[in-house]
Amino acid sequence: MFGRVCLLCSLSRPVLSAHLSRTHQLRAFISSYESQYSLNKLYPGSDQDVTKPLDKPSKELFLRLQDDIEEVSETEKFSGFIPIDKLNIKFSKSGGPGGQNVNKVESKVDLRFHLESAEWLPASIRAQIQEKKQTNINAKGELVITSQKTRSQMRNVQDCLQKLRDIIAEVQRTPKEPDENSAAVWRMRQEKSTRERLKQKTIHSRTKTDRQVYADE
Amino acid sequence: MGSMGNRKALEMVRSMPRVSFVNIRDNPGSKKQKKIRGQGGSRGGESGRGRSGKSKRDTRPPIGYEGGTTPFYLRIPMFPFYKNFATRRQYLPVSLEKLQHLIDMGRIDPEEPIDVTSFVHAGAVRINVFDRVYGIHLTDEGADKFVAPVNLEVQWTSELSIAAVERSGGTISLGYYDPQSLDILSHPLQFFRRGQPIPKRLLPPKDLVDMYTDPSKRGYLSDPNQIKEDRLLLAQKFGYELPDLTKGSRRALHRLRKDPRQIFFGLQPGWIINLTDRAVLKPVDAELQEFYRA
Repeated sequence: MFGRVCLLCSLSRPVLSAHLSRTHQLRAFISSYESQYSLNKLYPGSDQDVTKPLDKPSKELFLRLQDDIEEVSETEKFSGFIPIDKLNIKFSKSGGPGGQNVNKVESKVDLRFHLESAEWLPASIRAQIQEKKQTNINAKGELVITSQKTRSQMRNVQDCLQKLRDIIAEVQRTPKEPDENSAAVWRMRQEKSTRERLKQKTIHSRTKTDRQVYADE
Repeated sequence: MGSMGNRKALEMVRSMPRVSFVNIRDNPGSKKQKKIRGQGGSRGGESGRGRSGKSKRDTRPPIGYEGGTTPFYLRIPMFPFYKNFATRRQYLPVSLEKLQHLIDMGRIDPEEPIDVTSFVHAGAVRINVFDRVYGIHLTDEGADKFVAPVNLEVQWTSELSIAAVERSGGTISLGYYDPQSLDILSHPLQFFRRGQPIPKRLLPPKDLVDMYTDPSKRGYLSDPNQIKEDRLLLAQKFGYELPDLTKGSRRALHRLRKDPRQIFFGLQPGWIINLTDRAVLKPVDAELQEFYRA
């Protein structure tokens, strides 16, 4: 009896019953074997337990998904985090050709949220979206983004969110002011191109005149 | 207890001289005589070069020589379309749709960790390492409909598949198995019957190290903290709320991970599994134990 060892754990104590409890099996799995390359040794500072979420995700984490955001002020800066539960995402069937698949699969994604009451967006960005993206805002004041780019619903949701992030980045971009010299340079280039054009026109006109034949010649 | 024939044979042998190389021979037909070159009409000795003459004494032209014209094999240009294809690694595809189907049909148990063995035993793939198969590629077909919360380990996958699995409240990781380990993992019973100790799983080769240490691919050698960060990022990218894995009865399941040197859950390198006696033999020698922990 003492020669027989528990098949599932590294403790060599005698097995009295062939059927072990679930928790015993699983506890044994977790605590059993650690080689030179176990994650504990490769990354001593990290918690191996995948189920436990991070204590403090870094502030710049969600900004990895977002293009450069201008820092208006510390309170006004967009963190990059979009709360999905605050968005109203609906699915429907896409248009276009595709036979049975496009007729049955709900791959079109409609994403909308009320702009004024979106607390997760800084007020300045909300104002800029209201001003610059009127065509994407409906009568109820909701910003509407749709996507039926791909066959997959998940990919289209990704596309909608990417479009949202692009809008947030776009409305913050200020157009570059032309500097003093460049206005004069632009005017000179315009005049030069006009002169050139008229010169070519005159040459062409002469060619056409030369081709004319008079009856008495 | 012998039959009459056996008894007679034994009596004969008792009275015969001692068996040695001098008085035994092979069974007829067991050894085929090797054909010696040129034992034809002229009774050999010419090494296949024939009787005297130029052709016997000369050196021969190279194979494919066409008397001076450009040979066929040099006329045709090289088209290396399939160069090195025979040496490339292959990963057998299993879609998320297929995996969901297998779980629904009860061929894979979602309450247990799912790895290559589960797929092979469910009949989804047949792994032959001599075809340079290095594992399973989880494709993203059926990602929209995947709902099973699983603890999954495969060898290749895409970002969308990872998102689909994590959205359903599961975990996925990419683990490398060298061909010997993969063969053992795919055919465990066959291996146990050999009576050999479980070997250590090797680390990935140079060109795969980047992949298996990449947290965005959930590599098994990547930093767990970076994986947690990437889970949050992926949820933001694909627009779902990351399920809380601390709650629910499946928490213990999702915490299970193999050590990089381990092939099977719960079994260590160096152990010999005896199926007939239902026993496990473990090395006692300190050097061996140190070797298997390295």
